[in-house]
Formats: sequence, C-alpha cells, structure tokens
Amino acid sequence: MAGEKWGMVIDVDKCIGCQACVVACQAENNIPINTEDLYNQRRAVQWIRIERYWEGEFPDVKARFIPVLCQHCSDAPCEPVCPVFATYHNPEGLNVQVYNRCIGTRFCANNCPYHVRFFNFWEPSWPESLKNQLNPDVTVRSRGIMEKCTFCIQRIRRSTRDAKAEGRGVEDGARELNPACVNACPTDTLFFGDLNDPDSKVARMSAEETGEHGRGYHMLEELGTEPNVLYLKKVDKNAKEASHA
Amino acid sequence: MQEHVQLDQKQINKELLNGVLQMPKWWPGATAVVLVIFIVGLCAFGYMLNKGVGVTGLNRPVYWGFFMVNFVFWIGISHAGIMISAILRLTQAEWRRPVTRAAEVLTVFSLMAALMAAPLVHVGRPWRADLWVFPYDFARGVWINIRSPFIWDPSAVMTYLTASTLFVLVALLPDLAIIRDRSKGFTRVAYSVMCLGWRGTPRQWKLQAVAGILLSALVLPVFVSVHSIVSWDFAVQIGPEAWHSTIFAPYFIIGAIHSGVSAVATVMVLMVWLWGWKNYITPDHLDAIGRLLIIVATTWFFFFFLEWVFALYSLEAPELAMRDLQVFQWPWSGLFVLFLLTAFFIPVPMWLFRNLRRSLWAMFISTILVNVGMWLERFLIIIPGTMRRGHMIFDWGSYHPSLIEILMVAMTFAWVILGMLLFSKVFPLIPLFDIKEAMVGRDEIKVGRKTVPASIRE
Amino acid sequence: MHDGHSANGHDAASVSRGLLDRHRAAPIARRIAALTAGVLFLLGIAGFVIKLLDKGTSDPSAWGYYAALVSFLLTAAGGAVMVAIATRLAKAHWRRPISRASEMFAVVTLYTFALLIPLLFALPSLSDHRRSLWFFGELNVPGYMPHIMTTLSFFFLALAGLALLWMSALPDLASLRDSSWGLTGLFNRLSNTWQGTSRQWFVQYHRLGILGALYFMMLVTTHFLFSMDFAMALVPGWIDALFPATHAHNSLHAGAALMLVTMFVLRRFGGYGDYIGLDQFWGLGKLMFALSLLWFWFWFSSFIIFWYGAKPNEQAVLELLMVGPYLPIFMAAFILNFLVPLFTMIWNPLRKSVWGPTIIACGVLLGTFFDRVRLYAASWSVAAADDKHTLREVPAAIMPDVADVMMWVGGLAGAVLVYILAARVIPIISVWEQKELLLYRMHKPFHRLAEVLVLGKKD
Repeated sequence: MAGEKWGMVIDVDKCIGCQACVVACQAENNIPINTEDLYNQRRAVQWIRIERYWEGEFPDVKARFIPVLCQHCSDAPCEPVCPVFATYHNPEGLNVQVYNRCIGTRFCANNCPYHVRFFNFWEPSWPESLKNQLNPDVTVRSRGIMEKCTFCIQRIRRSTRDAKAEGRGVEDGARELNPACVNACPTDTLFFGDLNDPDSKVARMSAEETGEHGRGYHMLEELGTEPNVLYLKKVDKNAKEASHA
Repeated sequence: MQEHVQLDQKQINKELLNGVLQMPKWWPGATAVVLVIFIVGLCAFGYMLNKGVGVTGLNRPVYWGFFMVNFVFWIGISHAGIMISAILRLTQAEWRRPVTRAAEVLTVFSLMAALMAAPLVHVGRPWRADLWVFPYDFARGVWINIRSPFIWDPSAVMTYLTASTLFVLVALLPDLAIIRDRSKGFTRVAYSVMCLGWRGTPRQWKLQAVAGILLSALVLPVFVSVHSIVSWDFAVQIGPEAWHSTIFAPYFIIGAIHSGVSAVATVMVLMVWLWGWKNYITPDHLDAIGRLLIIVATTWFFFFFLEWVFALYSLEAPELAMRDLQVFQWPWSGLFVLFLLTAFFIPVPMWLFRNLRRSLWAMFISTILVNVGMWLERFLIIIPGTMRRGHMIFDWGSYHPSLIEILMVAMTFAWVILGMLLFSKVFPLIPLFDIKEAMVGRDEIKVGRKTVPASIRE
Repeated sequence: MHDGHSANGHDAASVSRGLLDRHRAAPIARRIAALTAGVLFLLGIAGFVIKLLDKGTSDPSAWGYYAALVSFLLTAAGGAVMVAIATRLAKAHWRRPISRASEMFAVVTLYTFALLIPLLFALPSLSDHRRSLWFFGELNVPGYMPHIMTTLSFFFLALAGLALLWMSALPDLASLRDSSWGLTGLFNRLSNTWQGTSRQWFVQYHRLGILGALYFMMLVTTHFLFSMDFAMALVPGWIDALFPATHAHNSLHAGAALMLVTMFVLRRFGGYGDYIGLDQFWGLGKLMFALSLLWFWFWFSSFIIFWYGAKPNEQAVLELLMVGPYLPIFMAAFILNFLVPLFTMIWNPLRKSVWGPTIIACGVLLGTFFDRVRLYAASWSVAAADDKHTLREVPAAIMPDVADVMMWVGGLAGAVLVYILAARVIPIISVWEQKELLLYRMHKPFHRLAEVLVLGKKD
C-alpha cells in the first residue's frame, strides 16, 4: 500500500461561496467556535476559508470565490523552519502537525505563503450544550500551539484501516475517505484522492487540466512550493467574448 | 590635542572603586525604580502564562510582533561589547581601555534580555521552551531540526553569552583582587573566592593577557555569526514580504554595531555623570567613538540603500505593496520618517562637528536617538513584513501592541539597567588594571613644536 | 625589532638620498619586464581584433571573458589603492613604505577605463526589456543608461585615483624637480607650487583624507553600477541585494593580495628590500586574512538565502553561477579565496613571513580571477528573454577561445606595462612619508628591559 500521495483538485468555476465546507470542517475537526470577538481580533481559526474578491466596477460587479486550505506542499516552506520537528512531511504526501511537539514559535505560520496555519491564542472552549458533539477521533488542541488542515487524516486512517480489514482497497472518492469539506460541498467543487493512483479522479483531472489548454494552476506557483492542491480556474465567458471582439 | 592626565595608582584605585566600596547617593532610588518596572513586567508575563498569548496584540497573519522586535534590538545592542573589546583590542586602539568592561557587561545583560524577549515570552508554550534547545525525544529518535534557523539561533546566542561572560570574568580577576585587599569580613571572603587566588605574579599576568587575546580572536566569528543568524530567522523565509533579501546578514550586523556602539557611548556619558569618572572618560574618548560611529553609520546607510534599491529593482507587486505601506501609510510613514531622522540624519551630521563629538550632552542625545532609530528600524522591518501585503489581499493584516506586550518589553529594558546597576555595585565598571597599563605604556613624542601622544610597542 | 623599521637610514637626508638615487637608477630587469609586457600587450590587441572580426559586438556571449577581464582589473587594481587609503586613515606606520606603490594602481584604473570602452558596445541596451536598475519603461530614461552611468562612474573613479596619486606624490615630485634629474620640465609642471610650507603641509594632510574618502565612495559606486549592469541585470530572476557589496568587498580582498605580490616584487627584484620588510607583509597579511574570512561570509550570506528559499528563480541562478556548468571554476575560487587562506594563515610561522602571505596572495588573485570568470562568462552567456522573473534555461558553460586567452594575457600585461611606466616617473616609495616616520619614532630605555620602541600617533 506504500506510495499514496493525497491531493485535492478545486474547481473554482463551480464554487458559489456557500461556506458549507467551512462549517463541515469546523464540526469534523473540533475547531472552537469562531465568535465575533475572535473575528475582530483576527484570530478566527478556519482550516478552510472562502476568500471572496470583488471584480469589476458597479454595476458590473462580480463576486469571485476561492476556497483556500493547506496546500500540503511537497516542498513546504513551513517544514524546515520548525525547530522541534512539530511539522513534517509524512510518507503519504501529507504535511502534518504534531501537536504535542509544538512549542508555539509560530515560525511555520510566518513562512507559509498561503496563511493557512493557525495559532491557538486561547484555550479552546465550547458551550455546555455542544460538549457531546466533539469528534472523538480528533485531538482538542490546547492553547499555545499551531494547527492546520490535515486533509481529515482521521477519516483517511479509518477508511484505509476498515478497507484493509475487509481485504479491499479504498474506493476512490468514497464518502468515508473524503475530507469533511469535500463531502459537504453541494456543487462538487472539491475532489479528493490519491494522486499516485493513475485511475483516481484527481489524478485524471490533474493530468488533463495541467496540459496546454487545461485550466489547472497551483497557487503562488512562482514560489516553487509544489502544492498538492490543484486549482482549476474560472471559465470566464465574458473574457472570451472580449478577446474575440 | 589630547590632554594628558597622569594619575597615580592610589588615585585610580580610590576613584574607580567609589561605586563599589561606597554607596552613591542616587543608587538605591534608581535601583528601586527599575526593580519595580521589572517586577511589573514579570507580573504581566505571569498573566500571559495564565491566560495565553491572546493577551498580546498578535493575530493572523502578524504572528511575530513586539517580542521579536525587541529580541533583535537587544541582540543588536549586545554587539557593543565585542566590537569594543575584541576588535579594538586587536587593532590596538588605545581609547578602548576605559569602556571595555562597561561594553562587555552591557553585552551580557542585553543578551539575557534578548533571550527573555524571544524564546521565553515569545513562544506559545514557554514552559516547554527548554525542549527547543535540549531535545527531549531521545527514545523515539526525534532530534531537534537543525535545518531551522531557530536552532542556529540559540546555539549562536548561547555561545556568544558564554564567551562574553568569560571575557568579563577574565578581565575582572585583577580588579577583584584589589577589592579583596580593601575589604573585610564576609566581603573579603567573597572576593577572595571570586578572584580565584589572584596574586599578580608575572605568570598570572601572562596567562590573563593570553586569555584576553585568544578570546578576542575566537569570539570574532561568533560575533559575526550571531546577528547573521538572527537576520536569517527572517531572510530565509519566503512567506512575509520584503524579508527574503541577501543583504540581511551584513545589514543586520552593521546595524547592530551602529546601535551597540551608540549604546556604549550613552553608557560612557552616564559613567561620567553618575560616578564622576571624568579623568578616565575624557572628551578624547567620546571624540574617538564619535569618529568610529560616523564610519559605522555611513556603512549602515549604504546597506540600507542597497536593501531599498533591490526591493524596488525586483518590481514585484507584494514587495512594492509592503514598501508602500512602510513609506506612505500612516502611522508607518510617520515612524519611517522618524526612523530615518533618528538613526541617521540627525546624529551623523552632529558627529561631523568636533565640538559636538566632545560634548557630553550632544553625544548623549545623539546616541540615544540612534537607538530610538535602530529600534524603529527593526520594528519597520518586522511588523510590516508580517502584515503580509502579498498576493492574497483577502488576508492583509494589521497590528497594535497590547499593554501586556509593552509591559513585558519594558521589563527587558528594566532588566538591562538593573543588571548594570547591580554589577556596578559589586564590581568596578572601569577596569583598573587596564587604565594602569595604559598609564605605563603611555608616552609622548615631540614633533616640532607639537607633542603627540605615543605608546610603547613590544 | 621588525626589520622594516630598523634597516633603513636614521636621518632624513640619507633616507631622501637613498630613495631618490634608487628611483633614478634604471635597472635592466625593469626594462626587460617593460619590453615583455609591451609585446604581450600587442598580442592582446591582436586577440581583440580577432574577436571583433570573428564575432562582432552583437553577440554578448562572445564578450563574457572580456567583461571578466575588465571586472578583474577593476577589482584588483581598484582595490589596491584602498590599501594606502585605509591604512593612512588608521594612521598605521607600517603603511609608509607601501602607500605609494598602492596609490600607483590608480594608473591601472585609468587603463581599465580604456578597456571598458569597447565593452560598452557589446552590452545590449535596455530596450530588450530586461529588468534594470534604471526602471526603463517605468521612468523615461534612455536605453543606454547603464552605459552612460558606468562610464561616468568609472571615469570619476580613475580621476579620483589619479588626483590622489598626484597629491600624495607632490612633495616627492618637488624634490625630484629640485634635484634636476632629467624630465625637469615635467616635474616642474606637476609640482609647480609646492614649497613645503606649514600651510601646504596642513592642506596636504586634509587633501589626502578627503581624496581618499572620495576615492572609496567612487570605488563602491563603480562596483555597484558595474556589477549591476554588467552582470546581474543580464540574468532574469537574479535579485541579490548583497552582490554589489560583495563585489566591492572582493575588490578590497584582491587589492590587498595584489599589494602583497607587488611588495614582494619590489622587495625581491626592485631593490627596496631594506624598506619593505616583515612589518608590511605581516600587517597586510593579517588584513588579507580577515578579508578572506569575510569572503566566505559575504558568499554564504547570499548563498543561504537562495538555497534555503528554494524559489525557482533563485535555484536557476545558483545553477547558473555555482553548482551548474561553472561548478569547477566556482570550487577553485572558493578554495583559493577562502579555504587556503583559512588553513594556512592561522599558522603563525607562515603569517609572520615574507613568502607565506605572498604565495597565499597569488592564490587569492587567481581565485578572484576564477570568480570573475564564473560570474561574467555565465551572465553574459544568458540569451535575452521575455521572462523577467526566472531564468528558464541555464546555458552551457562558455569555453574561452584563443582570442579570449590572448586578450586576457595582453590585458594583464598592459596593466603591468602601465604600472612600470608610471613607476619610472613617480618614486614608488613615498619619500616624505618615510621621512615623516623618523619624527614619530623613538627608542627609549624602559625599566629593566634594554630598550623599547615608542611610536607616536598624531591626533
């Protein structure tokens, strides 16, 4: 089974900015509630966020959405700078965070060009009524350490373990394998799978879309971080017409 | 021309030990004040330990704030000691003698302040900060990550602290013996132990001189590496804008010397004012340090110029956005102007005038200004950098330091002043033996109608 | 005592006589050297003509080695003058016998300026839309801005150097004028007004200080412009803010090395053995050693940022200049400029000798030569491209052809020739500084020791 390389494809063309992925991630990964206070302090934790940009002048204004999460870079800038190996690259191509090792230098967060690493400024807390809905498979992170998107590693672990026990491989695109954000997306914007398996959906999409006429691009490609998240750019019909005219 | 005050040994002993053997009138009050500030800072630290880093003004993406600024600032100040002691010793500059110890002690205490500012209060879990330097997971083969500049950093700083402390101790031995001979009872026992049986035999003197020269030569690479590595904490990163520049190491080093030597000049003036050592720290000494500062400041400005030219040369949008923030957006623009004025455009023209170089007041004000400017320099590099004026404009940040942060920064300042004050009560701040050596080695030569100071060369 | 101080005469008149007599003598060895250099220089001109006819000026990659030659001469000879300026600023007495030999390298800079002119024709204008210091396209500047600014800066550097040489030689020229030995007309004109009054001496000291500072600023400026416009700007994606400072530092380093070699030649073959002694080699050797250590620091400061950041544009630059086609040359430069000095100069017996620092200095000069070749041959071989951000394709190493070798030999020989000719006119050891030393030096009895040397330092 050696040699998985988990990756994601995000079709920006389909994203409607509904934030379902954000909420799903919040629930799956025991992320404390982002109150208004936390937003105002700029300390909200969102492992996946929808960045919204306005394009054009009134009245021809368009909202553009782009979901941004940890890119699980193959050449991740956050990894070499951690003095205590709290962040490292695992053999499955995931950029993982070891909470117990982290001492909170915040060096990794500083060196992340995508701003997808989050620091626990406060001890996490939930209202009494929500205590029982915490996910038992995910650690609650204490204050003073970094956290970030894991591609829902607990789901990857459980599904591969279950599949192994039943003597089969994990099905590509199975709900139990997919991260919470992928499952929650109503428009099929997000795709998750093993990039090393040539038959998987994500591998096929990246092969198709990174060609000459493909829509694929990596975020901040000029930095050479080699992300494992591939974006497919928006199909802009107006732009095409403009170029014809 | 240099005035020549020839002092006899008795007078030197009497005057230079006035802070140790007697209690200066202002000393208890001043010490109490800084002690209070220090304790208040400690309380703020305790509050942060209890509540979490949330009590600071840090946020996403400004993850490094005031503490980092002050870490760099204090490391900068710490470059004073070795610059004065080692480099000027190796180049045989006579004017170094009365200020070597004050500069070295300033180095030791400011390094401690730096360690307080960065690993201790900066990290999210300070109670585990020791694991950073002393790896804990032997059993599972997890070692510290030597690729991280944050591992190079403590290694360099600790080495520097060790070497500087040795520097101070080796130079202290003969003076401690003098105090031992002039004290009674418990004090005498304490100084006897501290001076390690110094009797002043030729062999002891020889070993002491050899140790001094060896330490000078060996500490120089450490001196250069410390601030280079501190600069690489920033420069190796590709995340924040405007940090990823090759100029950083030399720029930081020369900036450190600029602020460090200025701080020494401030301390020199204070030594004259507070202890009345005007026979030892004369306008000639201030003149010499002023001339050194002109060269250092100009070189620093050249590197500053290079940093800017290449930021603009790249013409990359994030880089330009960050520069725009630094220069054109309030309050950064105001700070930027203040930084330029205080770090260069006020003090350097002042030092060009011989009268001002030789005036205590002018040197005091100009060198304080330099350190205000150099603090702002670090502030203006670090904070706008972490504000991430990058391609992802959705995530542009902002930052205001909180009261807790300011109190903790005040704590580091209080620590350095407190350390200097306590040191001055226990040990002489001007090396007695060095002054005496200068008196012996000093001579004059008549050239025509003029007399020039001369020194004996082996 | 160090032999540099004690061997020569003890009164001013005998110092004057000794040095001026030696200046007037024209040893046969010098004539042979001048003649050989002249012939080799002609060979260099032939090489230049071959290159010009063969390749023309439209292809920059043909002129990389020539650019490296100009850069090397600017680096070594330009920096050699700084030996006099820096040590005079620090009031070091050991500089006295070598300050003139150091300032004399200003004539080589003038010669280098002449060599620069053909290079201007080979440097492409900014209209190829490369990134430049001059914000071509953003601001309204002419496309030949690099050519204009480098020429101006180079010219004023040569001018400042010559002014410094002339002013520093003024008292000596006056004594040559007064001793009426041939060329009187020339000396008359050069030292017209010098009478040696107190006022003139006062002005002299200040003038030397100011000209020295001016020269240093021009040197830094010239290195800044030359390294930017003749190397860095040619490579897309090469943004190294430290490079101009490294270039200038290399100049001080190679300058110290060049002076060590010059001193050795003057001592061994020039008949100045009783003036240039261990003191000078020791002082300058230490300086070169310190600069060798700084060489590593400057190089590493640039390298670690590019290597650690691992951005594609930076990796391409590393590939081009260091680890790619020019790796052997880079390694040679690294070993000769840093490793060899480090592991030899820490050894006292070697540092405190005449031959030791000289041999290491030869290595440093050779290392600087390799360094310049790797930088300039590489950057001139990059073809113009639309992409300003990254060097997409690293070109293969350019090998020197016969014309390149001829130009290099001839170019260096020309520098030697110019230097020898200048030394024929101006005394190569500063007579007045040598005489001044006698005023500041005294032997005194001291305690039980027999005698100590007391050296005065002017405020």
